[in-house]
Amino acid sequence: MTNMLRKALMASCALAGTAGMALADGYDYGSFEGYTLRVKLIGGTQYERLYTRIPEWEALTGARVEIVSSKNHFDLDREIKQDIASGDISWCVGSNHTSFAPQYGDLYIDLRDHIPQSELDQYVQGTLASAMVDGRLVQLPRVTDVSNLYYRRSLYEDPDNQARWREEHGTELAPPTTFDEFRDQVIFFADPPNLYGTAFAGKDEGASGRFMEILRANGGDLFDEDWNPIFNSPEGVAALQWFVDIYNAGAVPAGTVNYTWDDIGQAMAAGQLALDLDWPGFAAYYADPSASKIADELGFALAPVGAAGVRGAWSGSHSFSVTQACDNIEAAVSFAVFLTNDESELMEAQAGNLPTRTATFGEVIDWFNDNDQPYMADMFEVWQGSLAEARTPPLIPQWIEVSNVLWPQLQAAIVGEKTPQEALDAAAAQAREILEDAGIL
Amino acid sequence: MRFLRSPRAAPFLLLLPSIVVILAVVAVPLVVSFWTSFTPYNLTRPATLYDFVGWRNYRRLMGNSDFWWAFGRTVVFITIALNLELLLGLGLALLMNNIRKGERTLRTIMMFPMMFSPILVGFMFKYLFNDAIGLVNNALFDLHIISRPIPWLVDGALANLTIILAEIWMSTSVFAILLLAGLLALPKEPIEAARVDGCNPWQVFRHITLPFLMPFIFIAMTIRSLDVARAYDMVRIMTNGGPAGRTELIWTLMVRTGYQNSQMGMANAMGYVSILLSIFFTVFFYRKLVAARSFMAGAQ
Repeated sequence: MTNMLRKALMASCALAGTAGMALADGYDYGSFEGYTLRVKLIGGTQYERLYTRIPEWEALTGARVEIVSSKNHFDLDREIKQDIASGDISWCVGSNHTSFAPQYGDLYIDLRDHIPQSELDQYVQGTLASAMVDGRLVQLPRVTDVSNLYYRRSLYEDPDNQARWREEHGTELAPPTTFDEFRDQVIFFADPPNLYGTAFAGKDEGASGRFMEILRANGGDLFDEDWNPIFNSPEGVAALQWFVDIYNAGAVPAGTVNYTWDDIGQAMAAGQLALDLDWPGFAAYYADPSASKIADELGFALAPVGAAGVRGAWSGSHSFSVTQACDNIEAAVSFAVFLTNDESELMEAQAGNLPTRTATFGEVIDWFNDNDQPYMADMFEVWQGSLAEARTPPLIPQWIEVSNVLWPQLQAAIVGEKTPQEALDAAAAQAREILEDAGIL
Repeated sequence: MRFLRSPRAAPFLLLLPSIVVILAVVAVPLVVSFWTSFTPYNLTRPATLYDFVGWRNYRRLMGNSDFWWAFGRTVVFITIALNLELLLGLGLALLMNNIRKGERTLRTIMMFPMMFSPILVGFMFKYLFNDAIGLVNNALFDLHIISRPIPWLVDGALANLTIILAEIWMSTSVFAILLLAGLLALPKEPIEAARVDGCNPWQVFRHITLPFLMPFIFIAMTIRSLDVARAYDMVRIMTNGGPAGRTELIWTLMVRTGYQNSQMGMANAMGYVSILLSIFFTVFFYRKLVAARSFMAGAQ
């Protein structure tokens, strides 16, 4: 009898323990014993650290996770489009991004139908709003990207530089607060081939997005409220002229028109750039003395404002989505929530990414201070300030297509084949055709 | 039914598995993709597969100057790259043919570039020719040959030259291996007879070796002209067709249209126009091959 009582007690304790685990953070992750969840996740070192938490979710819910695809985002995007085309959606959770999400139509569910509002309230609300497509929450953001400034403190602290800048511009040398200052400073610091003022992503969405950011900071936008392309406005011409000016002055490497993020990151870490308007994901890399020459002189500042006195704050989020065709939507939602809960977000933030849960900012700042990395704590404090102004590219399926007609024209103006007005007029005409074909115009 | 049991059916029945496989792997995708080139087929909107728009995609292509620039650039790229690869491959094969020691090791080393994936080759040359941190510019600086960085991948002529250089590095060994096989199969008697008759080495090469090698050259050319599109990955990494479309080839344009812009109907129309290009090259080299073979038969 005593033996039976002991067994019953142990069994109830175990049950309570399991229930307590499944209810971790007050969210019910559910029990899916024997179920195998098929997922397609973005691959790459900076993304895969989070996946070390998958066994925890498996232990919590009894389900098993099968990663059926792990690729970089462009290849994953291609594969997902092929799945849509073939009608073969045999997986439940997919990595997504705010720039890509509008293309996928009704592939993914509205997560608000499956996640309690109290849980959604814990995410950064601006980030969550930018994860909506056509009024549906099709993705749960895992990290946010918003561009801000990295600079080399030593260049600003150098007395010679300070005196020279004061003589030339009549002001004190400090990280730029406007794009005009930014242009003047990158030209001022440039001493090629040893040091360039900055570098920019010159092709693909990287080029279109940076142009969009300066255009918005100047008070313009890509489209009006009826989706007419208006980026060939005077604000757009001024934005493109900014690129042309620093390119012609030799303040950026000539090859920057072919650069993507990795090239810029390598150049900055190699000490070849004075300033870099870039993503938070680079902070940990730049601050790592074993990989970066500028680790001990890294400074952080908010992105400059444009002629309109506002920030363009180009932003986007990596995220997780759940397919409509999933055979166990509750398990899939549980998985997506688990990989973006407080613990997961802290893990992402410790790697230098901007988290998507409000509580994580305070936690990670404390964590970096406790772990003797005060500069990383600085970064989160500075960059959190730009989240309020964060804006994504237009959330329409044709954004990537429009971007693909825009960046070759930006390049044409930058390398001097066309004037900024000619280039933008040509791109606007092509963008109009795309939107007309899509029935938007 | 009676036909199936008759001896006349045997060849058809034996070939049936191959016919089914060819239909499934080659014919069906070919027909479907040809059909899509007459539709506004968008990958993310599968219903568009059934909207027939006639020649609209082809008409738009005819008036699309970007497409024709990319098309023309592709023809020039293939012509220059294949001919230089042939010349260098022939030179390498002739040199290899004269080596008597360590021949196998050298042959293996020569095949190294073929073992690299085009993506890796793209990254390697992008790094080598990076204007700021690239090895080439750094070497030129150190040797005091230049004082300002050369924008290898930006300037129109230099960027195309760099891409051709990368393609030549990657694929010359294919020619060298195929031509070396031809040289090894060469009968020795005509060469020895020519030497006895007093021919100098150039005359031997011009009138004996080269005619014998011509079938191998055209086979190598045909194979390479069909598989040269492998260079797409390399170009995508190095310039992705930029800047300002200066290195745009039909392959980079097609993939951007088909996958990034999801306009698979239009991309397939571009594909069919470029297939015409491939057919032209294949027919051209095949005719040359036939002519060379008859010449060789005459020589024998």
